[in-house]
Amino acid sequence: MKVAVKRWNAVAQWRWDTGHAEQDDDSEGDVCGICRVPYEGCCPSCKMPGEDCPLIWGECTHVFHMHCLLKWIGTAASKQQCPMDRKSWVTAERKIGTTAS
Amino acid sequence: MATEAQKSQVAAKWQESFQRLNADAPGIAGLMSFSEAWAISLNYLHPIDINSVPLDPNGMPYGRDIDRARPAFSIVSHRRKLPSLLESFLEEMRDKFYLVEADINHCMNAYEAVNSPQPLQHLVSRLMLWYKAWAPPPEFGATLFASYTLSFHTHLFSSLPPSFAVGFKALCSSLLGSPPEDPDGSSHEILIQKYDPGDHPEIWRQFEVLGLIERYESAIASVAYERIEDHVLSTCTGEWGKPMLEELRSWMTDNVVPWMMHVYARGASTPEEAKSMLHGAGSRFDFHINKTLCDLRTSEIFDIIIDFPDSMGALQDLRDCLQRVDQRANLVRALRKSNAKRLLHPGADTRLILQQYVATIKCLRIVDPPGVLLFKVADPIRRYLRERPDTIRCIVANLVGDDDSGDTLVDESEPVQPLQQPELEDYGDPNWEPEPIDAGPEFRTNKPSDVISTLVSIYDSKDLFVKELQVLLAQRLLAISDAGERVERERRNIEILKIRFGESALQVCEVMLKDMTDSKRIDVHVQSQKASVVHPTIISRHFWPALESSDMVLPGQFQQLQDEYAREFHVFKPDKKLKWLPHLGTAHLEIELEDRTLEVDVPPLEAVFIELFSQKNTWSLDELIKAVGSVTRSAAIKALSTWVDHGVLKEDPENTFILLERAEEGGVSRGYRPAPTAEEVPPLMTPQDQQAEQMRMYWKFIEGMLTNLGTLPMDRIQTMLKFAPGYDRTVDQLSAFMEAARREGLVVVRDGMWRLNK
Repeated sequence: MKVAVKRWNAVAQWRWDTGHAEQDDDSEGDVCGICRVPYEGCCPSCKMPGEDCPLIWGECTHVFHMHCLLKWIGTAASKQQCPMDRKSWVTAERKIGTTAS
Repeated sequence: MATEAQKSQVAAKWQESFQRLNADAPGIAGLMSFSEAWAISLNYLHPIDINSVPLDPNGMPYGRDIDRARPAFSIVSHRRKLPSLLESFLEEMRDKFYLVEADINHCMNAYEAVNSPQPLQHLVSRLMLWYKAWAPPPEFGATLFASYTLSFHTHLFSSLPPSFAVGFKALCSSLLGSPPEDPDGSSHEILIQKYDPGDHPEIWRQFEVLGLIERYESAIASVAYERIEDHVLSTCTGEWGKPMLEELRSWMTDNVVPWMMHVYARGASTPEEAKSMLHGAGSRFDFHINKTLCDLRTSEIFDIIIDFPDSMGALQDLRDCLQRVDQRANLVRALRKSNAKRLLHPGADTRLILQQYVATIKCLRIVDPPGVLLFKVADPIRRYLRERPDTIRCIVANLVGDDDSGDTLVDESEPVQPLQQPELEDYGDPNWEPEPIDAGPEFRTNKPSDVISTLVSIYDSKDLFVKELQVLLAQRLLAISDAGERVERERRNIEILKIRFGESALQVCEVMLKDMTDSKRIDVHVQSQKASVVHPTIISRHFWPALESSDMVLPGQFQQLQDEYAREFHVFKPDKKLKWLPHLGTAHLEIELEDRTLEVDVPPLEAVFIELFSQKNTWSLDELIKAVGSVTRSAAIKALSTWVDHGVLKEDPENTFILLERAEEGGVSRGYRPAPTAEEVPPLMTPQDQQAEQMRMYWKFIEGMLTNLGTLPMDRIQTMLKFAPGYDRTVDQLSAFMEAARREGLVVVRDGMWRLNK
């Protein structure tokens, strides 16, 4: 017998590739340290998740919703620091394929 | 001994009387002539037996000579002896009344024998003869005549037996047309046609003369009432299409009014006079029509509502009737009763209840625009619907047009408008009107709102609807195999619902729709890079209702296909990756067997199983389940039976499945269970399941506190749980949960104190 797949309407969820490989397997996933909304959700000022509300990676390995972080950085109290570890914020270059297993 | 004075007084009296009787005639000639006149008068008036004396055409006995009697009368009258004459005449009449009584008895016996009003009619004419024959001539003056009539009536009424009243009613009714007990419609028609308003004026005049109308007025009226009831019931029962009230009124004008003329407008000389005399009775009869029709419609109201909008006429009638007749409480009672009996029971489909509820809303708005009736009737329905578990689903399914039956609750023509919140009363409203008089204390003047608002307001919050809507939309979207048109339709639906529920409430649905279009776009790109048979729907977690997770392992080429696609995706979107939900979706497979080729659309589990059979031809059920990871036994059996039905697999012996490379003779599926190929809805968690899932998390807390603190009452548990993040259950929900836990033997309760079951 030969089984040939002609068409497969599969269902998948997308996740942000946060670099923490495979640790999010079926867990609730990480949340943005500023708005406490999951990464795959969207920041409070957005309505659509995904490309419309992307993430931002810091050199310090912390990840936030980009909108959340920019808003934080925009305030004077932030002193341009990462809200998690108070190191000054440097946006990391995303190295494509770093986490591809 | 008499004194002189007394003697002279008597003498004077005597002289005076004598003088009066004798007049100025010489001697006692005057006295003689008076005596003669008295005799003649009395003889003239003497009540004769009409059976033995022939009567002249005027109803007077022959042989009476009014010319001879007239001078005699004038003499008697002149001598002021008329009262005495009258007295002795009436006395004589009483003595002779047995003659009339004999007649009455004779006719009544005849009436009772034949039970038809015919003898009574005869009786009336006989009575008339007696009356006329005995009547004093007009020369005697009105006083004498009136006394005679009164006395005749008195004697007559005292000698009429009680059964006469019944008979008289029947007689009147026969004069009105057909008797009411005639059930045959055709003869009814004929009789009505035969009836000529000009008929019977004579007999009505006789009734009047004999004083029967006055005495039996209520009986006569009841004849008319009965006729009206009869007519209304026979013409209007089940006739809901058009308003009947006008027709009934014109029927009354044609048939009852002329008849009424005899009764109520007797003696009217001009039409205007007749009209004013008829006015009182007419409005009473009109009221009766209204009342009868109203009662009829009240008894039919449930079916009228079912028939809406074909029963528009009946509703208009009911509205008009209720304005005249105070039967609103009755209507409410009747409708509530039939609702409880025919609608609000476990046998009725929720969809039907909703439909009937919506029809009730529409109907009662016609009958009673302020909505008091509706409020009273709707309350039990709403309470009942609130208890039904699938009410929300039904409403939502209807909202999105997911109804198989095709009749939607929502009128397409109804303008789409936002849900209306119960508004506070506007104290500055210049058009304010007080609440209707029969409104209950809880009644709120709800402005006529649209049906959806009313339905949604069955529940306290619309969140439940939004949640259900989300689940339903997810089911529908995931069941779509090729996006495009269907998605557009869903989008249209959501746009409409957004107007109702508000933009923000449906934000989640918006994301779901966007996921659908995004998936398609991504797929087009990925396919252009590297063609694949996989066309996934890529969904945004957190925005879809919780999907049951699955650890299903995909064997062979499926895993490979997925991995390839995921790689391409990662190239296209470097910062995203895919997590497959292997148990969702459908696969279109081509199965090449030795003697035949099959093309089938199957869910993933089925696809996976058949893929396994390409490795070896015989699998046991347990082996199969192990090979795909976690699937329930029942799901596995179901999936396998799909293939058995397709004639691809065979179960032999039990729980062992063999691939049939060659089709078996006669087809395997024959005699086997019918193919359950009905499309499966994606395994989404319903809101109830989600709640149970969350509750399972809180069970850990409960377990912990009961371990530490021993026994706790329900309200302590609730208070402590409130510290847990996101806990929003009510005590009732908690006790339901605890009750379930008790049934499972996890906890025991005694005197309201809960503790763990060790």
